[in-house]
Amino acid sequence: MTNATAPIRVLTAVPLCDGHDSAISSINLELIHHGVEVVYLGYNRSVRDIVRAAIQEDVRAIGISSYNGGHVEFFSAVLAGLRAEGAGDIGVFGGGGGTITPRDAAVMQRRGVDRIFFPGTSLAEIVEYVKIRYGRARRGNRVNGRGGSVDRAVARLITAAEERPNLKSARVIGQRPHSAQHTAGESKTSLVIGITGPGGAGKTTLIDELVLRLIRSNASLRIAILSHDPSVIGSGALLGDRAAMIHSQHDRVFMRSFASRGQAGGVCAATVPCLHILRDIPAHAGVPPFDVILVETVGIGQEAMPFAPDFVDATVLVLSPDYGSRLQLQKIAMLDVADIVVINKSDLSPAMTASAEVQRRLDVNARGQRLVTTCAKRHRDAGVDELFAMLWPGSRRCASREPVAVFP
Amino acid sequence: MSELSNIISAVESHHRFVEDQVRRARSDPHVGEELLRRWQQTISAIPNTATPTGLRIPRLALPQLDEPGEIARYIYGEGLPGEFPFVNSAYPQLYTHGNGQAKPANGNGKADDKMEEPTRLFAGLGLAEDTNQRFHYLTGHQRSIRLSTAFDGPTLYGIDSDADGALGKVGEGGVAIDTVEDMLRLYDGFDLGDEHLSVSMTINGPAPAILAMYIAAARRRFGLQVVPRLRGTVQADILKEAQAQNEILFPLDECLRFLGDMVEYTTRHMPRWYPISISGYHIAEAGATPVQQAAYTLSNGFTYAELFRQRGLDVNVFGPRLSFFLDCGLDVEYLVLARVCRKIWAIGMRDVFGAEPKAQLFKLHTQTSGRSLIAREFRNNLTRTAVELLLAYINATNSCHSNSADEPFTTPSEEYVRLAAHAQSIVLEESGLFKHTMNLFGSSPGMRQLESVVEAAILDEFRQIDALGGVLAAVEQRYQRSQIQLAAHRYEQQVHSGARPIVGLNLYRAEFPAPHDMHIVRTPLRKQRAQIARVREFKRRHAKSAGRALDRLEHVVTNGGNVFAELIETVEYCTLGQITARLREIVGCHRPVI
Repeated sequence: MTNATAPIRVLTAVPLCDGHDSAISSINLELIHHGVEVVYLGYNRSVRDIVRAAIQEDVRAIGISSYNGGHVEFFSAVLAGLRAEGAGDIGVFGGGGGTITPRDAAVMQRRGVDRIFFPGTSLAEIVEYVKIRYGRARRGNRVNGRGGSVDRAVARLITAAEERPNLKSARVIGQRPHSAQHTAGESKTSLVIGITGPGGAGKTTLIDELVLRLIRSNASLRIAILSHDPSVIGSGALLGDRAAMIHSQHDRVFMRSFASRGQAGGVCAATVPCLHILRDIPAHAGVPPFDVILVETVGIGQEAMPFAPDFVDATVLVLSPDYGSRLQLQKIAMLDVADIVVINKSDLSPAMTASAEVQRRLDVNARGQRLVTTCAKRHRDAGVDELFAMLWPGSRRCASREPVAVFP
Repeated sequence: MSELSNIISAVESHHRFVEDQVRRARSDPHVGEELLRRWQQTISAIPNTATPTGLRIPRLALPQLDEPGEIARYIYGEGLPGEFPFVNSAYPQLYTHGNGQAKPANGNGKADDKMEEPTRLFAGLGLAEDTNQRFHYLTGHQRSIRLSTAFDGPTLYGIDSDADGALGKVGEGGVAIDTVEDMLRLYDGFDLGDEHLSVSMTINGPAPAILAMYIAAARRRFGLQVVPRLRGTVQADILKEAQAQNEILFPLDECLRFLGDMVEYTTRHMPRWYPISISGYHIAEAGATPVQQAAYTLSNGFTYAELFRQRGLDVNVFGPRLSFFLDCGLDVEYLVLARVCRKIWAIGMRDVFGAEPKAQLFKLHTQTSGRSLIAREFRNNLTRTAVELLLAYINATNSCHSNSADEPFTTPSEEYVRLAAHAQSIVLEESGLFKHTMNLFGSSPGMRQLESVVEAAILDEFRQIDALGGVLAAVEQRYQRSQIQLAAHRYEQQVHSGARPIVGLNLYRAEFPAPHDMHIVRTPLRKQRAQIARVREFKRRHAKSAGRALDRLEHVVTNGGNVFAELIETVEYCTLGQITARLREIVGCHRPVI
């Protein structure tokens, strides 16, 4: 059933208390140039973050680059975490220059690590290994209702939809025919918010700050994020949003990173079927549905309108103050349809002018659109609090003022 | 906003100044004669020293010049050792300590007894008492006491040994420090107020809390009066963390504020302390080229100077307390890299910041390149390190650390640490290259050529950064990071293609696997668990006072007081992890840029 031409997806990361990202950055680049989609989790990441991300992203394998010692324990814990979630089929490989000795590697491989690369291994050798070892169709690609976590089941369904976006979700899902009856407009249990804007406006940071406030505002709330990044022409993609979304690496957040795979417009072919899955599956699995689904588009151009009318419940357009002249502003199509326009990076000098110009444009539209100015990179930013209150009027204000453990 | 464009102009105008002086020396007979007279006088004042074979040679090597223009070019363009712009050396004397009874070369330098051995050895392993033992072992081989401390991953990331996921990493690659009590154990048996002892701590993200623990520990052992006598360095270079090394805990602006508080405190209360070591080492280790290393390090240095000046600190007070740390690898640029850095720093500090001579010095610690070492046939690393040591000393580094050959695969074993230390003694004391004449290699035609090429490339990098709005703006646009990554990728490809030959790897590669019999130093899990128990016991013992101490800290952070001064009190009751967690609640977390 797996489409043989679908790109291989792998997750790469550097362990907790380790910032050595030079080797993995080179490997990431080499992998994407050879058609692999790399979900990069970044450095200083815990076992839990890695296992959770690998399952949600439904990758074929995890590559871990470890230079600060403790690799035997760390790799073992990752393997144990995967098995505990019924995801023992996700491969684990890695390296650490000379810090991982042949003896360590032997122990690690006995415990289930596929391969440790030693110093002197060329990038080409690593790419070759990944393509051969993880390029084969995987056994048991049907969704197994037992033995796996809910995240795992949802993630596998999304993969099926991503690899066959043109099939009806009913046929993709196979054993769940009744989910075909659901349409985007029917299920109102999840609030779907589309977030779009040009590249570099700060969408990722803003979403992460909203997620932080959502998590703190309610101890049982569940959130899903569909994040889109462009594919490199003719090759793979570097899906790096997770590395910057520090608050979103959380057990109540389901995140999935999509490569555009050549699809223009800001989302990908599988986005709509995936939204259906996210709305339906948790209920079937006997867990509460996601309360909020956030859809982040690829950085868009002036003409793009990525969200079809009943695709999302609300749209947020995020702009950086340096969009250019007023004339440029007039050309941005999303300004006419967004429910909320955010001018982010309010610390930049053109922010005041930008707010005034956008407000004038919204006044002309006279559609009740709202404008908010934020500085998402700032801790406890009042503008983000305001945006949060606009989107979730019932929530406690200043919910960001509570302790949270981002890193263990 | 960015001072970099002013620095570029200052360097360019210094070039014009030198050329003007050359022309004047040639066209104005009075000036020419005066220069010739001065040059002859300088040369005749240089004392001679005897080699073991009985030859007498001068302590300082100066070119034989009898043409005033060239004399002007040397004096103004390079400067005698210890003279602006310090191309040859920051100080008038170097490495020749204890050899003969010669006076300082040009008559105005420091006396010989102020000279110090340049050798530094970096150590840190296991628990505090293990590292303490290693320190006592190492200093048995040194005349002066230099305790250079490496910390383990959890400490570098500001978390406690009992944090989730830390097991396996406690005491790995460095010492585990959670509390002021660990700090007491770490330097036990050393007289921290002794003027011949200095301590260096290689830590950045949590540097303020760790230095606070050091001060608190010293205070407990020797009383309050020890504080102004404390001598040493804490790395605390957060800009290079944001660009390359990634050990950063809070948003950059907040980190810079905490750093500023620390610098303000130490310059006021600890006049012998170096509160920041502006480091290119990690930038180079992450893959930067030598020119990128120099350009990012210098521009970071100027950015700190700008920030401290904005806080109202006097450049002549903080300037002399800045020091630098560079990598030295095998690329040809390393023959002159520090020479060019000293010049650009001096010109920038003098002409843009108005600094006096002692605040113009690029005081340099060098470490040989870890990246150049490989695990295959690792004993070749002894040779690599020896060549790098030569380059570092030719560059007149003020202190130096040589890597152990076994570093690519383990915390250095005692055997290879000892060999690394001995390599320095062989270069400096056994060989005659540095002990008779302090600058035997300086100012060769090849060096001068390289210097001008390297300097121009560094200024080009400055222009790039300036065009992005200066160092902080460039960091936010991930300029340095992406440039370093590109360079690292290019390096890998060159190794793969053979364009960069590495013996044992892509040249003369022997087909045998890495040796299995090497001695690996690891911290046993039993010890790691002991540290975990120890930090938990500390938390239990201080459970009541910790909350109050953290509340006081929060009050200072939110009300704009000096956070560092408060941290010295906080560490009496709180662990590193507790402090990091509370500060993150108040100011937020660092968001990585990839």
